[in-house]
Amino acid sequence: MAERVFTWLDERLGLTAIYNTVLDRKVPKVNWWYTLGSASLFLFVIQAVTGMFLTVYYVPSPDHAYDSVQYIMNGVAFGWLIRGIHHWGASLMVLFVFIHMLRTFFFGAYKYPREVTWLTGVFLLLTTLGMGFTGYLLPWNQRAYWATTVGTEIPGTAPFIGSFIERILRGGTDLSAVTLARFFAVHIWFLPAIILLLIAVHMYLVIRLGISNIPKEGE
Amino acid sequence: MNEEQKKELIEKYKAEKAKGVKFWPDIIYKDLLVSFALFILLVGLAIFVGVANEPPADPSDSSYIPRPEWYFLFLFELLKYFPGQIEWIGTTVLPTIAVLALLLLPFYDRSPFRHWRKRRLGVTIMSVVVVGMVALTIMAVATTPPAAEEEVVAATLPEQILLGEELYGVHCVECHGAEGEGGEITGVEGLEGVVLDPINARDVMYTFTDETLFNIIDYGQPDLGMPPFGLGYGGELRRGDIIAVVNFMRYTWDDRAELPQEVAQASAVPALAEGEVPSYEVHIQPMIKRYCVSCHRPGKKNNNYLMRDYNEIMTTGDHAPNVVAGDLGSNTIRMLHREEIEAGGPMPPTKALKPELILIWEKWIAGGAPNTAAEAAGLTLPAEFLPVEATPTAAP
Repeated sequence: MAERVFTWLDERLGLTAIYNTVLDRKVPKVNWWYTLGSASLFLFVIQAVTGMFLTVYYVPSPDHAYDSVQYIMNGVAFGWLIRGIHHWGASLMVLFVFIHMLRTFFFGAYKYPREVTWLTGVFLLLTTLGMGFTGYLLPWNQRAYWATTVGTEIPGTAPFIGSFIERILRGGTDLSAVTLARFFAVHIWFLPAIILLLIAVHMYLVIRLGISNIPKEGE
Repeated sequence: MNEEQKKELIEKYKAEKAKGVKFWPDIIYKDLLVSFALFILLVGLAIFVGVANEPPADPSDSSYIPRPEWYFLFLFELLKYFPGQIEWIGTTVLPTIAVLALLLLPFYDRSPFRHWRKRRLGVTIMSVVVVGMVALTIMAVATTPPAAEEEVVAATLPEQILLGEELYGVHCVECHGAEGEGGEITGVEGLEGVVLDPINARDVMYTFTDETLFNIIDYGQPDLGMPPFGLGYGGELRRGDIIAVVNFMRYTWDDRAELPQEVAQASAVPALAEGEVPSYEVHIQPMIKRYCVSCHRPGKKNNNYLMRDYNEIMTTGDHAPNVVAGDLGSNTIRMLHREEIEAGGPMPPTKALKPELILIWEKWIAGGAPNTAAEAAGLTLPAEFLPVEATPTAAP
């Protein structure tokens, strides 16, 4: 029976073809440094899942953001665990994506034919930093508020367009409800959508081109 | 890279693949192992380290030292080397160069070699940059001053109510009274003789929302003589403090709100066992916080009698000592009994303490005015405070 169900599905979904191209393929023998990419992906999934749970209770307004986070920490069952994982997962994700980039650099894996994989990877690093920056403001506590005040001042010092960028980031001259709403929207919709797209391209290329082998002397 | 090199590279890669392993299960197995270890690490961090509690954002409190997330610290530190006019080099030019250098790497590094021995320049530059980032991060951590004394952050409602009670005792009692009963103000500069309506009554509690209360405390009621207490308007209270005071008022005086049990226990003066000598830290301090310290702190009209800690209570004041261990004729006791003496008038000025509270004061002073509970345990009460039927036992 199970076999008949499988055959029925396979005929329509092409499961065997997926298995053959994605899973059942030969790759060069590599070391543990090659797990950094999948670790980054895993951390992204963890961040996405815990983040979705956090949005259930989080309220992105200056009047309620802090209280809603307090409620998550003290009132919601296991809310402290979800937020704790999200908090530490953010740090780990930045760390792992960065080390993944270093591994790719030192093994020369960005060279032909993997240039586009590298490009998407750099954008993934930048969007990950963007996630860190926008997520930092959301608890709306002192640390968040003042770090973001300084953080949005930094692009503000750019010549000519600096103050324009600063106003765009803040949605006004000062940090306000608008800033929080913007950072929230960027943190939970815009950047994740971009990251998902980049991950899809990145992984398609990794599967299509295969992982690079560890360079030998003279290569 | 020309076509021939490309072909050669692809051939070599095919050979490597042929010698290699299967993606499933070999590679997947390693990936899963690492992911699982990461998951355990994350859960461990969440449980054993957790997330530090921070006070709520307070735009008026500009004394706060901004700290970015740790992975931006290196950039923060780097900016210190580009002060004033050339700041934009550090904030704009260098990051732009770094990002472009990274993005365009495969397009300007066109040599076909991948082993580090044949890419010494690139590998050196990247290593220096990474070491520099780590060094800057370490310097930033080392030079950031620690948060100006770890702030008490009241996270849960009971913590907030207790903090609010303490702040109310310091900032509000001198005018509004220990129970919010109001009445005639005495001993407050500029407001002498003003009569206040109670703020603990339904009139206030049912008509003022938390937000209204917050705003009144934050910027005061200038027309009625109430000064602003919020940091943003020249007062001393941060946003979190004001929220705590509002919660204290709401949960203590509003008969629709129920005071959490742990608060009731923590804020009450503990009952005395028979023959027990009260101590400053357990019995007297809670009363002082509630009834006295609002005026008996620096900058108030109080004959220089400060009551912020045990030492001040025993030694300060123009008519010191106001507390003499073992002497029920101490100034403090006489004033609690509403006598008008040289040291001053009845205390607290507007409303007498409840008799059972005054009794605790009497027992404390008669018993030797001990500071800690441990000291009090070694003392005995004089005979007049012991129940009549209990015959004092001779020391063994």
